[in-house]
Amino acid sequence: MHSAVIRVQNVFGFFTTVAFCVAAMIALSSFIHPQTPSAAVRLRNVQVVRGRPHYYSYKKEEYAHIKFDLDTDLSTLFNWNTKQVFLYLKAIYPATKPNTPPSEAIIWDAILGSDSAPWHQNHYVHPNPKAKTKSKTRNANSKAKEAESPYPRGEIHLTNQKPKYQITDISGKLQNRTDVILELGWNVQPWVGALVWANKADFGMWQGLQGGMSESFTFPEIGKMRKSEDMKVEKGKEGHVLMAGEEQPVRKAGQRA
Amino acid sequence: MEQILDQLRDVVEAPIDYEGQRLAELITTVLLGAAGIFAFFIGFMTQDIKLSLYIGLAGTAITFLAVVPPWPLYNKNPEPWLPAHSATSGVQIDVDGQKVG
Repeated sequence: MHSAVIRVQNVFGFFTTVAFCVAAMIALSSFIHPQTPSAAVRLRNVQVVRGRPHYYSYKKEEYAHIKFDLDTDLSTLFNWNTKQVFLYLKAIYPATKPNTPPSEAIIWDAILGSDSAPWHQNHYVHPNPKAKTKSKTRNANSKAKEAESPYPRGEIHLTNQKPKYQITDISGKLQNRTDVILELGWNVQPWVGALVWANKADFGMWQGLQGGMSESFTFPEIGKMRKSEDMKVEKGKEGHVLMAGEEQPVRKAGQRA
Repeated sequence: MEQILDQLRDVVEAPIDYEGQRLAELITTVLLGAAGIFAFFIGFMTQDIKLSLYIGLAGTAITFLAVVPPWPLYNKNPEPWLPAHSATSGVQIDVDGQKVG
């Protein structure tokens, strides 16, 4: 500690030790915050359509378009060490070959930012069930107003939600597959500490997820819906989805090319 | 010229005496340790991790300010040099049986 340079080195060296210890304490403190997550997932409507993975592809694949209801309360996942929660809804269905694990595909996801996280464009903004305005009028509103969620942080109530992703199988065939379920999962991303996956079982003060799984259902045949609800002809990513038994993309009368 | 260089070295090196070094070490440990403990507990009470961060960083800044400059507190017990001996005053240095200096 004789010269100034050595004192700087000493103080900085001990600072790193203290910072590491405090970070370790913060990471461990997550475990003493009780968690009681609960969720209910219901299937609304499922439809299988045939389409191409991209415009220039000759291969046709079957895509499932799953609409769902989701009611979940994950507010207890947000403690002082939570940066964001990545929430996802998986469709799980058994593989066609025996002794193969079931296939899982994410149909919807959301990044729920915590209060301590700075605003980010990718953070999920809960749709307001009362505001039925179209996008044009909503853009006119101020950004701060748009970011308001009608529910407290971590609570999500979606009805007849469209999927974000239309899923297909590695075999390209999805129709008439049985025993499909929807399951909710998440990652808790802390400020410091380990990434934590959805807790299905109790762990210390963390209760396992209550519910979070839908009843099993079957992917219908192409062109048929599981539930007879009014839905328009499904369009794929590229907007040229071929219906079963037809060679040309469906084009409505009067629509310009 | 040599005097100027000596002064410059004192400013850059900023030496403190032995007692001052002991004190500086103690102050470093106490201040940084306290900053860490306060940062965690105040942050935990208020459930605000940014407050933790800022308390920790503020504590570290204070420690740097308190310890790095050669405050007079650290130079209260200077260790004086021994008086200089001339080469002829009886100091004998032997190297391999030969007298040097």
